[in-house]
Amino acid sequence: MQDLLDILNLKTHFQTQEGTIHAVNGVSLSLSDGETLGIVGESGCGKSVTMMSLLRLIPMPPGRIVAGSAHFFGRDLLQVSDTEIRTIRGSQIGMIFQDPMTFFNPVIPIGKQVAEPLEVHRNFTRAQALERAAEMLEMVGIPRARDRLSDYPHQFSGGMRQRAMIAMALICNPKLLIADEPTTALDVTIQAQIIELVLRLREELGMSIIWITHDLGVVAGLAQRIAVMYAGYIIEEALVDEFYANPQHPYAIGLLGSLPRLDANGHKRLVSIDGLPPVLTSEPNSCPFAPRCWLAMERCQRENPQLRYINDKHRVACWVDIDSGKER
Amino acid sequence: MFRYIIRRLLILPLIMTAVSMLIFAMLSLLTPYERASLYVQDISKRPGAIDSIIEKYGLNDPIPVQYWHWLVGRKDANTGEIEGGILRGNLGWSKTGKATVWEVIARRMPATAELAIWAGIPMILIGVGLGVISAVNHNKLPDQVLRVISIVGWSIPVFVFGLLCLMFFYARLGWFAPGRLSDWAMQVVQSDSYRVYTGMYTVDSLLNLRLDIFRNAVSHLVLPSVTLAYLNWAYMLRLTRSSMLDTLSQDYMTTARAKGLTERLVILRHALPNGLIPVVTIGAIMLIGLLNGVVITETIFDYPGMGSFMAQSALSLDVISVLGITLFSAFILISGNLIVDILYGIIDPRIRLD
Repeated sequence: MQDLLDILNLKTHFQTQEGTIHAVNGVSLSLSDGETLGIVGESGCGKSVTMMSLLRLIPMPPGRIVAGSAHFFGRDLLQVSDTEIRTIRGSQIGMIFQDPMTFFNPVIPIGKQVAEPLEVHRNFTRAQALERAAEMLEMVGIPRARDRLSDYPHQFSGGMRQRAMIAMALICNPKLLIADEPTTALDVTIQAQIIELVLRLREELGMSIIWITHDLGVVAGLAQRIAVMYAGYIIEEALVDEFYANPQHPYAIGLLGSLPRLDANGHKRLVSIDGLPPVLTSEPNSCPFAPRCWLAMERCQRENPQLRYINDKHRVACWVDIDSGKER
Repeated sequence: MFRYIIRRLLILPLIMTAVSMLIFAMLSLLTPYERASLYVQDISKRPGAIDSIIEKYGLNDPIPVQYWHWLVGRKDANTGEIEGGILRGNLGWSKTGKATVWEVIARRMPATAELAIWAGIPMILIGVGLGVISAVNHNKLPDQVLRVISIVGWSIPVFVFGLLCLMFFYARLGWFAPGRLSDWAMQVVQSDSYRVYTGMYTVDSLLNLRLDIFRNAVSHLVLPSVTLAYLNWAYMLRLTRSSMLDTLSQDYMTTARAKGLTERLVILRHALPNGLIPVVTIGAIMLIGLLNGVVITETIFDYPGMGSFMAQSALSLDVISVLGITLFSAFILISGNLIVDILYGIIDPRIRLD
């Protein structure tokens, strides 16, 4: 398959008073047409920043994209002009966010906000765009959408707002949808509805999806491939079945161990990973996970492992071979 | 919304009664002699005059009785006619203004309104405009410069800034004069051929097609409006700036950019409607404040508006004038606040008045 998106060695830093925060440290990812990729990690691991860097939505300053490229349809998103990236945002790449309350403008009616990308990118008139917005809102499951176009965000429920947000992101029929923890702020039942909705829309519209989450359970049924991020690095990447059956990085194993399982025998306690992820103010010369790792060896303290293929559908950045407990 | 307005309108007379009682209660601080002496010109040559004034106006009555008389009027002992009584629409005779209080208000209000418009509109436009510029260029050069200017404006007292303006532009350069019109222009305005529409000279002169009068009126308005506007726009700037900065850091700004809007549209369509909500409220309250007369500025520039009249009558212990004007101000303030509340409900869809 042809690659839709090809991110190579992306690095994003933030200047703060405490020094330079290395938020994204050389992330390389690719996504083929129609594929769904799940990016998993704790808060602050750089997964949102990676995606925001891609669309150049990082506030600059203090943020700065230091290195890397991100080819989308042959164009490097990090190099194109401001005007060009604007024509891509919302038109070829749609984005949905975590909290549909704060990410909607409180004083503009929903209909107008959903319709806006059409006015900007497709030169629709206001009336045409609103008409299309109503259809789109129907499509994402908002009943009597036409009557609700003039409602304000606070008049929608949380789940309805997220549906509207999805309608807004997809109204220009983008090739890629970036979903930044879109179900985190929702009830579990609503979460399931939203995921189902996205699955249906993927079927109907055929876009690729990058789904950011900290919930391994959510992406399991959604993504074909999973990338785990830690401290601004991708530390493991694999096809979804391979990943759940055969996780390699101690961090990924820890994450999976902290999930309750229906097929677990007996009363196994859930495992938690002690400590917090580090905030990197310089490029580390040790594995960033080493301080929390129960398998850490001498080499982990002096050399940061690179992401390497262990088989043709699995990459991992770890010095330890999880099966033998010895160095790879 | 309708019920809210009705309820607020019903409260209006209650507040006015409370305000008037409060001022009336302060009368007990003045002796009847002090109050009566205002109406007698040469006290030493006319013994007994004060006593007859006290007798005539019942200044020796208990305060609640005087309040009652002020409300419904008082029967004159000699003529037997009922005089005064604000409930009968009579605010009384203003010794300071040498006319009834109503006439004084009718004469002075257009002057104050004219000043409020000339100071208020530039103040709001400049303050808000610069505030937006400052916020959009957060921590860059324009922001730094504007912050310094606004801090300076915000910290200079009115009387200092006003007097400096007067000293420089009137005494030294002679460009702008105090007062409201020059003598020759005043004669024209008071002549029969000149028609009065609003009492605001800048408006009336245009309606009378007298550009010379218009220019003269404007030149008299420049200094007081600049003084008022400078001090207030500094505040507007700071308010707009902080409100806009808050808005610009909101999540929905990211959404707007992620939709591919130009930075201009992001600011105009998504930031301004949110960022200006508090500004509209404060701006309207400021305008109401200006309409109620600005005592210090009008006094410095000898501008014959409500504020300077208030100062004159208070200084000469003219209780009737002070009462009338205060009551009128309270009315403007309360109804103005009601308008602001309604406005707020219109511009912010999250607010429901009920």
